[in-house]
Amino acid sequence: MTAGFSYRSPVLREELLDLLAEHGASARVLAGGTDVMIDMRAGFAHPKVVVDLKKVEGFSRISWSPSDGLIIRPAVTINDVISNAKIRQSYPLLVECARDLASHQIRNRATVIGNVVNASPCADMSPALLCLGASAVLSSKEGQRVVPFREFFTGVKRTVLGVGEILEEIVVPPESADARGAYRKLKRIKGHDLGIVGVAAMNNDGVLSLGISSCGPTPLLVDGLSARDPVDVAVAAARDAIHPIDDLRCSREYRAHMVEVFVRRVFQEVA
Amino acid sequence: MKIEVTVNGHVYERDIAEHWTLLRFLRESVGLTGTKEGCAAGECGACTVFLNGKTVNSCLVLAAEADLGSVDTIEGEAKGGELSTIQAAFSRNHAVQCGFCTGGMILSARDLLSRAPKPSVAEIKVAIEGNLCRCTGYQQIIEAVLDASGQLTTANKGELKYV
Repeated sequence: MTAGFSYRSPVLREELLDLLAEHGASARVLAGGTDVMIDMRAGFAHPKVVVDLKKVEGFSRISWSPSDGLIIRPAVTINDVISNAKIRQSYPLLVECARDLASHQIRNRATVIGNVVNASPCADMSPALLCLGASAVLSSKEGQRVVPFREFFTGVKRTVLGVGEILEEIVVPPESADARGAYRKLKRIKGHDLGIVGVAAMNNDGVLSLGISSCGPTPLLVDGLSARDPVDVAVAAARDAIHPIDDLRCSREYRAHMVEVFVRRVFQEVA
Repeated sequence: MKIEVTVNGHVYERDIAEHWTLLRFLRESVGLTGTKEGCAAGECGACTVFLNGKTVNSCLVLAAEADLGSVDTIEGEAKGGELSTIQAAFSRNHAVQCGFCTGGMILSARDLLSRAPKPSVAEIKVAIEGNLCRCTGYQQIIEAVLDASGQLTTANKGELKYV
């Protein structure tokens, strides 16, 4: 573990944003820690200050209203999503993806926003949020801006987040409430494992979107499809959108093949 | 930094380095070595403890995050020298070989039984998916959890049907 950092756990939002502004790139935000702790132990991250945001007032809240939709804040864990009655009822796709993320112990700790901000191409929550048309509210001492998730990811482990900026709210629009959803994830084992390929689908009154993981430097969105078209249209669109690589977990050809298999399966489930 | 953590009902005030994990605090500062370090990356579950009532991988939690919190470890499982129901079931069903995963396995089982008193085999498998047993004694572990929840009968015991 990287030694020599100081640990701070502000309780006020302003205090948090001040700390991040003051320490800039030498600060690292800590939420669930399930990625940050591993990065620090592996020597990929050497922060001078670790800023824990879990104690910030209001940051563990999930809220929903017919006008604003669903709002997920920075300390909301994966298991909080799975047990939330409103999400289970209206955004079942989020619950399905959340259930597939790691193990129970990790789900007790890992946050939805952390999973997204870490920006791994294989993150479980990102394809669903892309399908659902979600946006990110980014906050810093300077103010706030709203970025749709389709513009949020810029590369492997890279996002539009600036130094001193946090993703404060995930906003899932009310228009995608009660849409049908499905998720398929290819893993080596049935138990907890990183995805080799993942495909999420949403059918919102006939408008079909696909979110695809591990087939490019960022999670991918294929939208503007119709659930009334033959499945081959969706398969062709997915094939055009992906650019998978060979790596130690799987070949490029196998990834491309499994995307097609999964698009057919999720299509059948949501169409 | 100074932290105050309640471990198995006892309050410990300790001065620790800020980069220490909860796991290191438990083993090296409190002296409870039943919690093990396996992978140190949140995969194996040997370091599973309860933190404020929820199971966590203590290798991925800073000790500082547990300040003013409450931790339960495997050492708190037996009461007054008597094995808990789950421990006794693990012993009866030969669910312990080398023992390295056992502490975490038992705490994950206890967490499951608090949520689902009569879990199905499928639910048991999901509950222990974050606890690896490299002796591969999953059959016996699943039987032990069935036994601890009063569901093990001669009809469903010992046919390698759960792995």
